[in-house]
Amino acid sequence: MPMKFSVPIFSVRNLNFNIKGQKILSNISLDILASEYIAIIGPNGGGKTTLIRMLLGLDKPTTGEIKIFGKRLKDFKKWYKIGYVPQRASHVDSAFPATVLDIVKMGRTTQRGYFSSFSKEDKKLVHDAMQKMDVLDLADKMVGILSGGQRQRVMIARALASKPEILILDEPNTGVDMLSQKNFYALLKQLNKEDGITIVFITHDIGVIADDIAKLFTINQKAVICNDPKQILSCADMSELYGIEAHLLHNHKHEH
Amino acid sequence: MQRAFIVGMIIAVLASVSGTFVVLRRYSMISETLAHSALVGVAVGLVAGFNPLWMAVIVAIFSAWLIEYLRSEFSLYSDAILAILLSGSLAAAVIIVSLGGAFNNSLFSYLFGSILSVSYEDVVTISIFGTMALVTLLLFSKELYFVAYDEEVAKTSGVKVKLLNFLLVSVVAIIIALSIRVVGSLLIGALMVIPTIAALQFKVGFVKTVMISLVFALISVFAGMTLSFHFSLPSGATIVLCVLFIFIISLIINRK
Repeated sequence: MPMKFSVPIFSVRNLNFNIKGQKILSNISLDILASEYIAIIGPNGGGKTTLIRMLLGLDKPTTGEIKIFGKRLKDFKKWYKIGYVPQRASHVDSAFPATVLDIVKMGRTTQRGYFSSFSKEDKKLVHDAMQKMDVLDLADKMVGILSGGQRQRVMIARALASKPEILILDEPNTGVDMLSQKNFYALLKQLNKEDGITIVFITHDIGVIADDIAKLFTINQKAVICNDPKQILSCADMSELYGIEAHLLHNHKHEH
Repeated sequence: MQRAFIVGMIIAVLASVSGTFVVLRRYSMISETLAHSALVGVAVGLVAGFNPLWMAVIVAIFSAWLIEYLRSEFSLYSDAILAILLSGSLAAAVIIVSLGGAFNNSLFSYLFGSILSVSYEDVVTISIFGTMALVTLLLFSKELYFVAYDEEVAKTSGVKVKLLNFLLVSVVAIIIALSIRVVGSLLIGALMVIPTIAALQFKVGFVKTVMISLVFALISVFAGMTLSFHFSLPSGATIVLCVLFIFIISLIINRK
């Protein structure tokens, strides 16, 4: 891939977030560059999800600056470039009337414009996204009856249908079986390496994906950034020394 | 007779299509509140000598905006807001009518619905506003569907969620104000919500759910009006009992 001197996808400077005087995030500065695979770890309640929500404009920082593709959040219009798979992706309302195809088509909503119908290109992108996530044969199934692993793939297919440049995943594999998880990590790696999609992934399984990732952010009110791909595991270990859990790390090491 | 049936069918289409979005958005109770707000408009119209239907549309839209505003600006409990406005509106309507010395059959017919009182002018008003409301809903259907499924992901994909909420409640306000003539303000909520809930029992995709709900509403209105003519029963109540009957049948058919 040719080197491009492009603006960071996200650039965060001196970000602070307080709720009722309590510090949730303190003085966070970080960059997310194109084609990076970034893992975010940290204890529950440490502010990982809050940070992601602020990047996406769902929560407003108390102070500090967030730029997305070089623009302030409120001036940014091309939100289809951002694919977001929230934490609750594997739990959905089982009564909601939606087939897998209905859900993946949602990924095309904002690029179709208010008056246009579903074009050939939309159809192709939806088809390709479903193929990539291996959910084509589920197209007419109701999402309510899918397994956790299948549902997770459907949610990512929806995000992919908008042709995002970055995928932000917030622990989407809670409640998903081990085999599905393994396949899922392989898929993320493929999306990053082959399709050049930037990936930001909140996870507890840092041990399993350590070889794939380029950067590690440890968020526990403050951010500790580890830039060296070779040092990811020791960074995670260090973080643990400071009281940050990375519990699966141990299991991973004992296997060797 | 023919006039009443035309209006009834138009209302069946409007109530069921908008009802699908209302139910999926978990706004079911808003239809009840807006139906009572519309009564304030009817009361003003009756007392001041304006067209009650037009006044109902105006007041219902105003009330819908007020509800959305209160919900988004103050983190009040939204069901409490609906309860306050519901009884407040009814009280205001009754006071206005009795001050104007018009507490009579006219208001009663708007409470419970009366097909015999549908005038040619009503048919024209309902057709014009109804077409506008339906076209608006269909234009924004994919956005409304996305927001109903996952408001936050829709927002991060660039869907203007706040604007859409205002649009939905406005359209619902118009449809309810138009409907109270035939179904009555105490009963219109049922015609909006029950066909969709019945359709949801079949656990099919979005488009099919809308179609089933539409068919159920048309059958209920047709059967209800026919029965009400033959046995001289109040039209609104007969329609609601028909739709309830369909709901119970749907529950039994789809029982596991």
